[in-house]
Amino acid sequence: MSQVSEPTSRRVERLLRWYPVSWRSRYGDEFAALLTDDVAERPRSLRRTVDVAASGVVARLNMSGLTARTLDPGDQVRASLASLGCALAAFLVLGVAMWAQLAIGWQWSRPDTTGTSVGMVAMSATMLVFGILVVLAAVPIASEVIGRFVRRESRGLVRPTVLFLAGAVVLTTGARHFGNGWPGTGGHPWAHQGLVPGGVAAFAWASTLSVTSYWAHPGALLSFPAQELTWMAVSPVAMACLVVGSVKTVRRLDLPPRALAFERWLANLAVLAMTAFLIGSIFWLVDGGPGPRNLFHAGAIDLVGLVVMAGALIVSHQAVFRARNADLTAVGR
Amino acid sequence: MTRSPKDPDRGASRPEPLGTLGRYAGPATLILSSLADGAKHGYALTKDIESFAGVRLAPGTLYEALSRLEGQGLIEAVESSDRRRPYRLTSAGAVALRAHLDAQRQVADLGLRRLAGNWGTA
Repeated sequence: MSQVSEPTSRRVERLLRWYPVSWRSRYGDEFAALLTDDVAERPRSLRRTVDVAASGVVARLNMSGLTARTLDPGDQVRASLASLGCALAAFLVLGVAMWAQLAIGWQWSRPDTTGTSVGMVAMSATMLVFGILVVLAAVPIASEVIGRFVRRESRGLVRPTVLFLAGAVVLTTGARHFGNGWPGTGGHPWAHQGLVPGGVAAFAWASTLSVTSYWAHPGALLSFPAQELTWMAVSPVAMACLVVGSVKTVRRLDLPPRALAFERWLANLAVLAMTAFLIGSIFWLVDGGPGPRNLFHAGAIDLVGLVVMAGALIVSHQAVFRARNADLTAVGR
Repeated sequence: MTRSPKDPDRGASRPEPLGTLGRYAGPATLILSSLADGAKHGYALTKDIESFAGVRLAPGTLYEALSRLEGQGLIEAVESSDRRRPYRLTSAGAVALRAHLDAQRQVADLGLRRLAGNWGTA
């Protein structure tokens, strides 16, 4: 093959980045050779760029276990669970932010409307279910990870584990600190005046402090204490570390078929819980009452949040559907 | 469009392997037809398909179809020291291509017969 010019090489390199790493490790070299020949024949082509970008996105979706393209059964379940994890994380960040505001509002007074009360009870019960599901899902994964570290077979797991732990420590410590500063509870975890313990509501509120419409009002944001602003910037990074660490761990861990089946069963329950939470929040949005002095008034950010949560639910449903179709009896044969 | 239950042309068998490729069935047929006369790498496939079908498969579409066909065992990669890795048809691929082209020919024959019956030779 003739010498490839520097601009062509750079262009091919840029196009290749549309594809996931695993795809590139299998097809990258030969695909780069094809692109080099194609670029040499037609130096500029919008059609080629759009086609490569679209195919790269399709390859990423395939690898995430969300399309009809069938992966190896074990990979399929792991990929689908990882996609569900991402979608569930987005759902929970917005859901917890929404729910925490209402839970704090209830510390001061009960809602005036039945719809809001029903919605809040449903959302609070679902939050409890989410908590139980997360703990149950974490047990097989954590035990497998610990086992790998003990057996010194932790290759590929160190970085995601460190990322997860760092995110968890920063988020927990920061949310505890800012939750304690909230006047509704005085930092006491069981100060109970409303539907849920005040400490729990304050912790949830502090951990999702960055989910706010204040970002659209920079003037008002500047009047916030510097410490709080720093937390609003740091906490999303900590959440991202937590999610990326756990998702990468799930992708890299060869869980036994029984554990995968158990995780898949929990994933089904998670989708049901997401649906119940969404219905509860719709009750509140419809019947929240007028603003702005009403503690239970639903704003524009809540509507946007609801739309994003509905999107996350659709992705989760698709992930669970794909995971359900994988034949786990074929794993490990 | 309605068809008579006694239509003798009904029920032409549909090939499964290529039918499951969805929107990649078209590129897959072109690729398998090109590989039917020997192994080729990506660029050679593009040029060959362009010469016999008048269609230029864009690189992304070509490789998406190649990876699907390889996943179904209809083609396989040939060892090569060059970066341009060639692909060849497997025996399962040859069977699938024959079935698919037979079904396509039945559709073509049916269309031509109906055209001749209703529109003459114009």
